[in-house]
Amino acid sequence: MTTHPMTSAATHAVTTPTASAVAVTALRKEFGEKVALDDVSLEVEAGTFLVLLGPSGSGKTTLLRCLAGIERPSAGRITIDGRPVVDGRTFVPPERRDLAMVFQDYALWPHLTVAKNVAFPLATSSRGRDERAHRVSDLLERVGIAHLADRFPNELSGGEQQRVALARALAADVGLVLFDEPLSNLDADRRELLRIEIATLTRAAGVTAVYITHDQSEAFALADRVGVLNHGRLVQVGTPEEIYRQPASAFVARFTGLAGDFPVELVEADGDDRFRVTLPFAPDHPVGAHAVAPLAPGDELRLFVRGAAVALHPATHDAGLPGLVRDVAFTGRGYEHVVDVGAEEALTKVFSTHRYDRLSTVRVTLDPAACFVMRAQARKGGRP
Amino acid sequence: MSSASATLATLDPAAPSGAAGSASAPGEAGTPPRSARRRLPWGTATIWVVLGLLIIAPVGSFLLLATSPRLFQQGSQYFTLHYVAQALSGSTGRGLLNSLWVSGLVALLSTSLATLVAWLVQRTNVYGRRVWGLLMWVLLLVPTWMMTLGWGDLLQPYGAATIAGVTTQWLYGEFFGPLGIVVVLTTAALPFAYFIVSAGLHGLGSEFEDAARIHGATRWRTLRTVLPIIAPALWSAIAIGFAETMSDFGVAFTLGYHAHFPMATYTLFAAISNFPANFSVAAVIAVILIVSTIPPIVIQARATRRRSYAVLSGRTRTPRRREFRPVARIAVTLGLAGLFVLALGAPIIGALGGSFVRNLGIYAVGGVHLTTAAYGAILHPTIADKSIGAPLLLSNQLGVVVATATGVLAYVLGRRLAVARGGWSQRITDVFLLGTVAIPGVVLGVGYIFFYNMGFVTSHFLNLYQTLPLLMLAQTANALPGQTRFVAGPLGQVQPSLSEAARVHGAGRWRTWRSAQLPLVARVLVWGWLLTFTKTIAELAIAQVLYPPSQEPVSVTIQAYLGNYQLSTGTAMTVLTLVEMLGVIGLVLGLFRLLTPRGWRRIGWSGVRS
Repeated sequence: MTTHPMTSAATHAVTTPTASAVAVTALRKEFGEKVALDDVSLEVEAGTFLVLLGPSGSGKTTLLRCLAGIERPSAGRITIDGRPVVDGRTFVPPERRDLAMVFQDYALWPHLTVAKNVAFPLATSSRGRDERAHRVSDLLERVGIAHLADRFPNELSGGEQQRVALARALAADVGLVLFDEPLSNLDADRRELLRIEIATLTRAAGVTAVYITHDQSEAFALADRVGVLNHGRLVQVGTPEEIYRQPASAFVARFTGLAGDFPVELVEADGDDRFRVTLPFAPDHPVGAHAVAPLAPGDELRLFVRGAAVALHPATHDAGLPGLVRDVAFTGRGYEHVVDVGAEEALTKVFSTHRYDRLSTVRVTLDPAACFVMRAQARKGGRP
Repeated sequence: MSSASATLATLDPAAPSGAAGSASAPGEAGTPPRSARRRLPWGTATIWVVLGLLIIAPVGSFLLLATSPRLFQQGSQYFTLHYVAQALSGSTGRGLLNSLWVSGLVALLSTSLATLVAWLVQRTNVYGRRVWGLLMWVLLLVPTWMMTLGWGDLLQPYGAATIAGVTTQWLYGEFFGPLGIVVVLTTAALPFAYFIVSAGLHGLGSEFEDAARIHGATRWRTLRTVLPIIAPALWSAIAIGFAETMSDFGVAFTLGYHAHFPMATYTLFAAISNFPANFSVAAVIAVILIVSTIPPIVIQARATRRRSYAVLSGRTRTPRRREFRPVARIAVTLGLAGLFVLALGAPIIGALGGSFVRNLGIYAVGGVHLTTAAYGAILHPTIADKSIGAPLLLSNQLGVVVATATGVLAYVLGRRLAVARGGWSQRITDVFLLGTVAIPGVVLGVGYIFFYNMGFVTSHFLNLYQTLPLLMLAQTANALPGQTRFVAGPLGQVQPSLSEAARVHGAGRWRTWRSAQLPLVARVLVWGWLLTFTKTIAELAIAQVLYPPSQEPVSVTIQAYLGNYQLSTGTAMTVLTLVEMLGVIGLVLGLFRLLTPRGWRRIGWSGVRS
């Protein structure tokens, strides 16, 4: 992958605005009968890059728009840098919240050139004309599109439009920048490149960032902290590692990427949170796993297996579950396999540097550190 | 506490992930939702008061007369069908029947023709594609009575065609009958159908055609496969063509009257202008006129609400043009030119030529004589003649006031219609404006005469009868529904995120509107203004029934000349009025080009998305 000039340029920030801390308390938003946000509470420390992760309809966009002041919450409180912007009768309009935003569709004004789009937030600043022009050209330089300053948005590619939107958001010298799925309209290559640029530029600018996405790999790559939303509720907040290794619920586990999940029966406890369980389709091959929440006797249990837990071996290997390779895909750095381990059960996205051909038999071993056992939850309102 | 919070609460305290929602108890969320505190809907109330005064009260009270004349002291019965029977018999009955079949035929003809022209302009390499689009705009701006006049001047036995030595007597008789009426009304409905079908074709990428051809369809089968995709546009074109023709007054008042071919709008006018005036019969005709436009409009509304225009997407490729071979390309171009010569050229040439003919249409020894006397008569009038100056100035003043008032009101209403999450108020406004598009100008005009002349209104409320403000109000009411629909589409195309981005990046409401809203819709607002301005100058139905004594708009003055058989003078005045209208259009568009930033002019009404 090529490195864009802005990545290196971004390492020296021109300005360091004071990052804003954000606190959300008991936020609720209704659209008629539909509850989009329900009792959401959240604290974002100054300078943190928080990613809100959730499926479509989980309320992440509504939460971001409430932070921006585009939506008016039905109830709850929001403070930015300790200043209430939503509290009872108080509702500070967006233009007085001292924040910036990168929109999903970029929201570039089609009648303004790139330079004028970026200069827009500076119009109300106390900077002189020359200083503003310098600031704009500096930002365009940093995002690598200085040569496009006089173009109109419809003369730019998606990636270039994205860079204009980013430059505009950083132009304002604000302490909080919001990102509304800014990479969702880009192809895979550009997405990867711009993800790195957003991460480096935002951190170099020293601002607090709240970023929403439904892509867990994007979330883990960008975030200092991740908040997971489901059905309008914030169901877990933590570092990417915590979310991945110790999901608070089956929903979080599934949404953040699994190779498989199966019903299991408890065999024995190996320690405080370590257990041995058996799979119904392989009762002779007990599997090690750890619990992220207390288990009680009689609980219905499920085993959740991360992709990283699974290793493939030739059929002659003396340990592991027997499996049959149903599909294999070359990914560049290796192979991803789909392996049937029971009559209807399969493990997906099983990585190996060695290719196992379709319909070949294999052995599958599971690393207990990336397998966890949880109580089975009723499928309520979708995937648990 | 909710179930998800409860789930989190059972986690081992040692678990490192911070439990969300832990900082709040349910009781803390007890602040009354702001959305629950109902604000007084002043905006909605104001809009409905304005619509009430402009449209609902005058038209509603007039329509009630159809069956309840005693409500307004126009008869002795609270309920009667007597006037219904009267309206359905004799000349009025024939008028209704004539209007219905002519409108149906015109709607079909104009849609078929418009579809062909739109396809040629958008999907082929025919020469002069921009010119044909521009000519459609000109066709839209020329009122039907002007077209009739032009055709009449051309085909008169001693008219404009005679100058070129062409005998047209055989055609003149045909023109003053159903044929002429259908031709003029079809050309008048053509631009409406063209713009609607063009919009449908514009979003129809060539993938659909390609897919059909790749899967073995012949050209004919491909056409049959692709056309239903733009069926909503075709239905809209038919509905608008039908409604426009039903409500047309210009042809009915000029061609229909002289051809002894009664049409509903004229019989309505006659019912109140004959002595004694019969408002109840007029009301019955008005009700039938309005009701007759409901079925096609409902079909159109249903078709467009099913989002069938959603062939537009970011992935739609620019359609590929069919490349005609040189000879075919020239032939097709000539065919299009022939169409516009017929639709626009012939009446304009007729009017222009006719205005220079001495004693137009009257036999003179030695044949036709050319003269500028008609222009002299209206530019330097004698006592007997009327100058063009005062009526044209008055019409321009009316045009400016009506176009500006309509523009402001249409913008406000269009914004409400364009809101994505509109409530009941938006839906009612939408249905109301859709319905009122179909109210003929003559119905509105007669409704205004009736309502604003009622004793209760003049003595307790507003005494505007026989004043210019009343004429202005009626013309604003006439233009408002169409204008609102005209701007609502482009307003709805502006992505809300553009304004949201402005607000988030520090702009207040005014700066957001000025910098992120106005530039995107300025062009459509200017075109909307021009459309209303020119339509108001040339408007005949309302002007004819509501002009105050001694304050005639130019369209009324022209009709007065024509009524007195001063055809050359009336035609000359028509030519000057048309030239002046086109001059204002050129001036306004020129000023727009000169005074607005470059970025504003880049935005078309279908290209607001960046």
